[in-house]
Amino acid sequence: MAFPVSFDLDFLRRRRLSVVVAVAIVLLALVETVNAFVAPFRAPTEKDWVAAAAKVRAQFRPGDLIVAAPAWADPIMRQQLGDLVPLAVAGRMDAARYGRIWEISQRGARAADTAGARVVDTSRHGALTVKRWEKPAAQVTFDFLAEWHRAEVSVVNADGTEVPCTLGPNRWQCLGGSSLGPELLEIDTTLRNGLGVEPVEGKTLVLEYKNVPLASELVVATGLHSVWLRKLGDGKVRMRVLVDGHEMGTIETSSTSGWSLDRFGTSALEGQPVTWRFEITTDKSASRHFGFAAEARSP
Amino acid sequence: MVSVEGRQGIGRDESQYFRAGERYWGWFESVWNNLRAGHPGRAFSRASVDGIWEDNHEHPPLMKILFGVSWRLFHTCDCTGPKRGLHPIPITGRHVTLPLFGRESSAFRFPAILLAGLGVALAYWLARRVLRPTPAAVAAVLSVAQPHYFFHAQISCFDAPITVMAVLVALAYWKSLRSRRWGILCGVFWGLALATKHNAWFFPVFLAAHYLWIRRGDLRRLRLPRPPLAFVSMATLGPLVLFILWPWLWHAPVPRTRAWIERHLQHEHYNFEYLGRNWNLPPKEPSLRLLRATFPFVSTVFTVPVTTLALSALGTVVFLRRRRRGSERSQVLLEDAPTAFHPSWVRPGADVDRAPGVFLAIHIAGPIAMVALPSTPVFGGVKHFLPAMPFLCVVAGAGAAWLIDFSRKLLATPSRALPAALAGFLCLPAVAETVRSHPDGLGHYNLLAGGFAGGASLGMNRQFWGYSALPILPWMVAHRPPSNRIYWHDVLHDAIVMYSRDGRLPLGIGDVGVGEQVLEQSELGIVILEKHFTIYEGLAWQAYRTTQPSIVYTHEGVPFVVAYERHAAPRVSPPPQPEIFAP
Repeated sequence: MAFPVSFDLDFLRRRRLSVVVAVAIVLLALVETVNAFVAPFRAPTEKDWVAAAAKVRAQFRPGDLIVAAPAWADPIMRQQLGDLVPLAVAGRMDAARYGRIWEISQRGARAADTAGARVVDTSRHGALTVKRWEKPAAQVTFDFLAEWHRAEVSVVNADGTEVPCTLGPNRWQCLGGSSLGPELLEIDTTLRNGLGVEPVEGKTLVLEYKNVPLASELVVATGLHSVWLRKLGDGKVRMRVLVDGHEMGTIETSSTSGWSLDRFGTSALEGQPVTWRFEITTDKSASRHFGFAAEARSP
Repeated sequence: MVSVEGRQGIGRDESQYFRAGERYWGWFESVWNNLRAGHPGRAFSRASVDGIWEDNHEHPPLMKILFGVSWRLFHTCDCTGPKRGLHPIPITGRHVTLPLFGRESSAFRFPAILLAGLGVALAYWLARRVLRPTPAAVAAVLSVAQPHYFFHAQISCFDAPITVMAVLVALAYWKSLRSRRWGILCGVFWGLALATKHNAWFFPVFLAAHYLWIRRGDLRRLRLPRPPLAFVSMATLGPLVLFILWPWLWHAPVPRTRAWIERHLQHEHYNFEYLGRNWNLPPKEPSLRLLRATFPFVSTVFTVPVTTLALSALGTVVFLRRRRRGSERSQVLLEDAPTAFHPSWVRPGADVDRAPGVFLAIHIAGPIAMVALPSTPVFGGVKHFLPAMPFLCVVAGAGAAWLIDFSRKLLATPSRALPAALAGFLCLPAVAETVRSHPDGLGHYNLLAGGFAGGASLGMNRQFWGYSALPILPWMVAHRPPSNRIYWHDVLHDAIVMYSRDGRLPLGIGDVGVGEQVLEQSELGIVILEKHFTIYEGLAWQAYRTTQPSIVYTHEGVPFVVAYERHAAPRVSPPPQPEIFAP
């Protein structure tokens, strides 16, 4: 049978580049059309999610972390497994303390929380992949957020006078309107559990934790709460970190600094009980809602 | 669009235009009623005019008037029943209408849809200035077969209408270069464009740039080009048409025009996600300014169907070579020979080549360049430079023309059906992508970006203004708490009212209001998943003591909306099929 279409071969030879362009566009149109029909079927279905969740649920142990990759799939993951992702876990400072991480991923994505871990179990559930990652969990010797009520909180005025704050049921209340306590904060459009405070210009908010058992490092996470406040304000918040009166460093937080983790090495003092002091100040207090969390831990 | 608009929810802005449109119609009713009562001037008093036209006066009225008129003419009236109290105007009796639409929102949307249809015809007409019928048809189809444009084209908003107006004004100007009649019409059309949306302010800039280009010979001879009739008409008839159509200006034209302009020149930067960042202020750091400037270019590359982009690139080459390859241009582009030796002010382009490539390039680059300025808000995403798209599609049509012409030459015995078949084939990807995207066109990204999921992974904006709640409304109704305390997040009360009028929500459905504080008072609530709305999801977690949404609406696996319930008992096993997947 003869091929129904015949080409002008002479023209074809003279216009090779044009032929390449024409064929490329026709192929592109074909690929794009096919993809438009096929791509919707490549998305994970609810059946995939139910199967993936069943797999995780069957082997889940208390203390495990469950994450979705890419992160935008997190609400679907929580719809299936939200009872295993309580608020304390969902708003975690970071994933260092989790030795086992269940990752439900699609399209080859990998969650940042699994950095440094190795895969010990993989299973496919339609368009989803469940991986169990394992790594040595950080040993947290002191969680400054969980032990917030153990702090001694005061406000130091510009003239150096120190006024202690009062411990209420949920927060420390200080003269001048400041208060500090655990909150679920939105920092850099991610939800984080932390101690929240609205710092006041010209005053220093001081937190002191005494007899803190030291590990090899202190990790401090800081940021500014609320997308609306970050838009309105432009002041900076500074946190001075001291151990037994010696300054370890100063962290500066602004509207664009996100949720930043700073590490202070403390291996020289590991095992010793010390006094940690955090001093929080700001140059402009308008629309500043500062949040932080900290852990003494050995990685 | 008429057949599919019902699957698309109601956004914040649209719900306000419904309300304003109906109120504007109410004013026309009052004109008639006062006339009948023998008080013809009463409806024109400052109190009467301002009382109505103050509503949504930050935007000009033309489309809202049309929305209101269409609603009045075409809705199926059950207005005197229990829904009577949901109208923003007094309902004195049953309306006699031509009941084309079962849902009132469809009747409101009808003018925008008609105008989008006119836009396709205008795109064809514009393309026919330079292309033969078949590639011009490709340009016309591609102009509407764009997921983001299609999203905006079927709703009662101004973004598709102003895109149509951009083509109308440009076309009138183009023809006015050799026709007196079109010179006059150009001013009238620009007035209509001004009364549609403030994008129209910039149309004369684009036209002037083109005019100076085609008359560059005058400039070289140090002679000022004569002002064309079109510009004179635009300067006189344009503002006049705007003034006549906009009663809000009648009693204080200068201060209110100034306020309108200032409002948009100093518009707030709402939140918008782009490349994983939430943008809500003009960036200060140089690197961020540069990144922000890429927004309209990257958004175009990721949202317009890739075949359309490729055809546009090809069409650009065709236009660049237009003046060089005389032997070929007759096959691909139509001639635009001068029609006279000397110009006149009513035919100022009669003696020169009208430079269609430059004309199209200015209309593509102009709107995009304006959005590229870091000081320009980007909260509307692609919609802010949609007026560039029909012109881009005409260039794509030129690419299609080249391809059709080339395939004819390549085949020893070309079929007569070849041009039409190839044209249809070239439109297929754009049409398929548009079908695929509905009703979530805002979250659609093209093959280069990786579709819905790829766009989400790239950190591109997925949606705005709460339109996406529609698919979960039946679930919300089924799970309505006895207290009726429901938090609707970014779905405005006006949208809830219209959903109720449309019969998609029961009358009296609860709404605890907006703001961060009220969420705690609710027992059922939704959160629209935009990057900057994370704070509301946190509030929902705390209010409802759970991180587990009861339902997630997804499109191709990408979540758009979640709903939470208070006192939801922890689930041991997954609930039966609660998630809705868009078909």
